[in-house]
Amino acid sequence: MTDQEQQEFREIWEKPVTRIGMATLLLTAALSFLPSLYLYVVHGVWLSLSVALKAWGMIAALFGAFYFVEPASYYAILGLSGTYMAFLSGNISNLRLPCSAMAQEVVGVEPGTRESEIISTLGIAGSIITNLVFITLAALAGNWLLSLFPDPVAAAFKNYAVPAIFGAIYGQFAMRYWKIAALALAIAVVMFMVFHAPVWVAILVSVFGTIGVSRVLYVRKMV
Amino acid sequence: MPTDVLLAANAFGVWLVALAVVSVVAVQAILYIRLALATARKIDFPHDKCVRGLRSGVISAIGPSIAILIVMVAMMSVVGAPITWLRLSIIGAAPTELTAAKVGSEATGVEFGSAQYDMKALAGSWWTMGVNGVGWLVLVGLFAHRLEYIREKVGGGDARWLAVLSGAATLGAFAFLNVNNIFPADPVQKIRRLSGGPLAAALVGAVVMVVLLMVSRRLPWLKEYALGIAMLAGMAAAMLL
Repeated sequence: MTDQEQQEFREIWEKPVTRIGMATLLLTAALSFLPSLYLYVVHGVWLSLSVALKAWGMIAALFGAFYFVEPASYYAILGLSGTYMAFLSGNISNLRLPCSAMAQEVVGVEPGTRESEIISTLGIAGSIITNLVFITLAALAGNWLLSLFPDPVAAAFKNYAVPAIFGAIYGQFAMRYWKIAALALAIAVVMFMVFHAPVWVAILVSVFGTIGVSRVLYVRKMV
Repeated sequence: MPTDVLLAANAFGVWLVALAVVSVVAVQAILYIRLALATARKIDFPHDKCVRGLRSGVISAIGPSIAILIVMVAMMSVVGAPITWLRLSIIGAAPTELTAAKVGSEATGVEFGSAQYDMKALAGSWWTMGVNGVGWLVLVGLFAHRLEYIREKVGGGDARWLAVLSGAATLGAFAFLNVNNIFPADPVQKIRRLSGGPLAAALVGAVVMVVLLMVSRRLPWLKEYALGIAMLAGMAAAMLL
């Protein structure tokens, strides 16, 4: 890609992607308080400031590190538009990342290129459509839908669907980079089982540690 | 949940509030699809490949979405249907949201899910779920484009390294996710122990995916269903264990 092409791509892609992403995420952040406002307006129920701050502090103590760590860790996989979509719609590891990876696999685009960014965007957008249809059906007729699944099948979905998806995506990428795959697994096992690292530390070290060792392998022409 | 609280949580007005948020998510997806198609045209990338990418996302999402649906029904029964619809359309999967609902209720001095769960506790749950999601939304909304700048610096315009970089980031993330599942932390003792079910699911999921992708070199249509098939195979293996 020449400098001029890169400049042009920034104009036709990155700028509008940023505009849409900023607007939709910040709008949703504001709308997130609508349910609380509704309870006040309709039922006159309101939390005292001290209770509201206490609850905020308690939940931020549990998840606050992830607000920073997850976008930073997933960015190299999702790209700009993927990050805006995934962090608006959620279910990142079990749905957005797998659908981005499969879309790129199906179309056969080279990772890290402009084409792969466009296909990843479409794959994630497609997954959002499917997911919205499913959760809307669940909201309207969830108990009836659940009754269609025999108990053991529902339990299998609940307990094992996500581990199986994680394994599948790992397998897909291990085919391409088996050396990196082995090192990544070793890093994660050491973080959890040897250092007993908290989850937010383990994810940071796993992603950036793997990128680091891959750089060494790449420079030595081993991958 | 006491009946009057349950009625308030499932009132028509809450559905309208939820609809506003769900609509933003849908509109964002539509805007990005339009932008991606327009950009593809400008860089002479074939339209039919774009359609395949979109369709693959739609199809690959079916399996994971069934799993989300099943967990969602359980969440609806404890916090109400419309607020669950709202919360699960945006960032924060069911376990995260339920934790926030519990923390919010307890901040008001009421045990989550108990008969004492009153309107105040409901307000605590809704506030805490909201303010938790806002953490991700605001940080990403304000700063994601700065990350692109960093990636360009780290990538350094080396196309082959950029490909390895995104592969390495994916493997790092999924190695972490797999190990976190296969060695779950015991909530009481806080120690991590090997768990057979998730191990079987992940191993079989991985092996089946590899086999399917090898076979799909001859049968390209198979790729669109690979994630769903691998997921079901992994689930079946864990169940039979």
